[in-house]
Amino acid sequence: MEAIVKASGLTKYYGKFKALDGIDLAIPAGAIIGLIGPNGAGKTTTLKALLGLCNFEGQLSVVDRDPRAARHKLMEDVCFIADVGILPKWMKVWQALEYVAGVHPRFDRVKAEAFLATTEIQRHSRIKALSKGMVTQLHLALVMAIDVRLLVLDEPTLGLDIIYRKEFYDRLLNDYYDGDRTVIISTHQVEEIETLLTHLVFIDRGRTVLDLPMTGIADQFVEVLVRSEDLEEAMKLQPIHTRNLLGKKACLFENRPRSELARFGELHTPGVSDLFVAKLRSQKLREGV
Amino acid sequence: MNSRTFERFMILLRRELWESNRLFIASPVVLAGLILVAMLWALLQIPEPMKRQAIQQMETYLQGVSPFQVMPVFMAPAIPFVIVLYVCAVIYLVNALYHDRRDSSILFWQSMPVSNLATVLSKVVTVCFLAPLFAALACGVLILFSVTAISVLAASYDSVIAGFWSLLGAGLYSILLVYLTSVLGALWLFPTIGWILLFSAYVKSLPYLWTFGAFILLLFMEDLVFGTQFLANWVESRTSNYNYIVFSVGDFFQRLLSYDMLIGVAFGAVLLVGAVNMRRFAD
Repeated sequence: MEAIVKASGLTKYYGKFKALDGIDLAIPAGAIIGLIGPNGAGKTTTLKALLGLCNFEGQLSVVDRDPRAARHKLMEDVCFIADVGILPKWMKVWQALEYVAGVHPRFDRVKAEAFLATTEIQRHSRIKALSKGMVTQLHLALVMAIDVRLLVLDEPTLGLDIIYRKEFYDRLLNDYYDGDRTVIISTHQVEEIETLLTHLVFIDRGRTVLDLPMTGIADQFVEVLVRSEDLEEAMKLQPIHTRNLLGKKACLFENRPRSELARFGELHTPGVSDLFVAKLRSQKLREGV
Repeated sequence: MNSRTFERFMILLRRELWESNRLFIASPVVLAGLILVAMLWALLQIPEPMKRQAIQQMETYLQGVSPFQVMPVFMAPAIPFVIVLYVCAVIYLVNALYHDRRDSSILFWQSMPVSNLATVLSKVVTVCFLAPLFAALACGVLILFSVTAISVLAASYDSVIAGFWSLLGAGLYSILLVYLTSVLGALWLFPTIGWILLFSAYVKSLPYLWTFGAFILLLFMEDLVFGTQFLANWVESRTSNYNYIVFSVGDFFQRLLSYDMLIGVAFGAVLLVGAVNMRRFAD
């Protein structure tokens, strides 16, 4: 499938600090990508580069454009929610609707109004007076009514309670995602979006640590609950990560055939959060950090 | 500019007025209200003989004079409006490209297909053309009130003053002149607008201090290093009123197209290009 975002060797310095250290990405159209990394890994910087909000070195094309060239043109095909609560506080709800309707050629006002009707947001409320959850609902109502090819969400549910968080992703998946649009979600709360994703990208200290489709996790990674008597044997196969689980040792292997591992115990495909911790730890060990 | 671009720009201007309606709409309206109350109070308090005397003086003064020659009298109430307009314009400009960076709402604005150039232009048009409009209209209420009060008083004393309609015409014309004067003033101070917006797009904190502090420092440095007062002289020439108070539409165009005016606008435009570029990768 055609890549909607292509990046190679994406590098960005903030003074002497290397925020991005040669990120490579190829995001296929129609995917839901989880961009996952610890705080300060370079998630936001990567997204900023994608959205034309910062300068960088390296090659980058987003919807066949160089994002640095004309951000306002890019924004006809790309939309983003940068963080909770970035809607201007002085604005009233109706003004936000009026504004987006006025400037965005692909905004469907009827759709946004219909979404808002399902919430408790009043059109004459000032954004300052809305709760954090409501501000996110409003932002989502605006963004979901815009017909773009790429939607970028940077920690969209940060600071929200569980009800709003669940609702946010439910709506995104049910009312917005149609298989043609591409969605990039950056977060460090992995569990929340695990079931949504079609692709996974881990980044740490400005580098891509892992980039694969969700269906590829089972092919590439396997976790074994190793019986204590087999532990020594299993360790020889160099698991990338081990942890204690219910009195046994859970060993995570990368690129080892399942047939080879079955003799140690029960096999299963690791969850995204376990994989995340494992990849980051093993990377750090390898580099001796 | 096609109609779609025009419509989009109009919504940017509406956005500016939504955000700054207190500065540019409420403050002249409140000012007009206060002055109106003061005028009414004065009308009720001034003893009858004094009013009669004033009207008679006006009658003598206006004899054989076209009402268009008395316009300067009607333009006088504009002074407090212009002062308030300038103060509000400075507050507006200092925050125009700064405030949304502070509260991160710039990321919302940047997520819309609106160029930084269009954003900066909408701020410039607001301060140069829209804000003066509201100041002139609010001031116009006072002018029309004065015209009416003079006419009613004159009628009650059987005086003949120019005639209500021609006074009204003069009043309306002076509202236009107040507007043109304010616009010309803004354009005359265009380098200041560019300077403030440049700093508004650049500074990370203390925008007032940086904007004005940097300028004062520059004045000081020039004197210290080169021993010249080029900048100081230039400021003096820019702040002398002579260059933008107009008494006719012809004046307006003559001053607008003067060499000094165009140089200032061009210099301001260079600073604005800087502000636009500064905003490109700002957050």
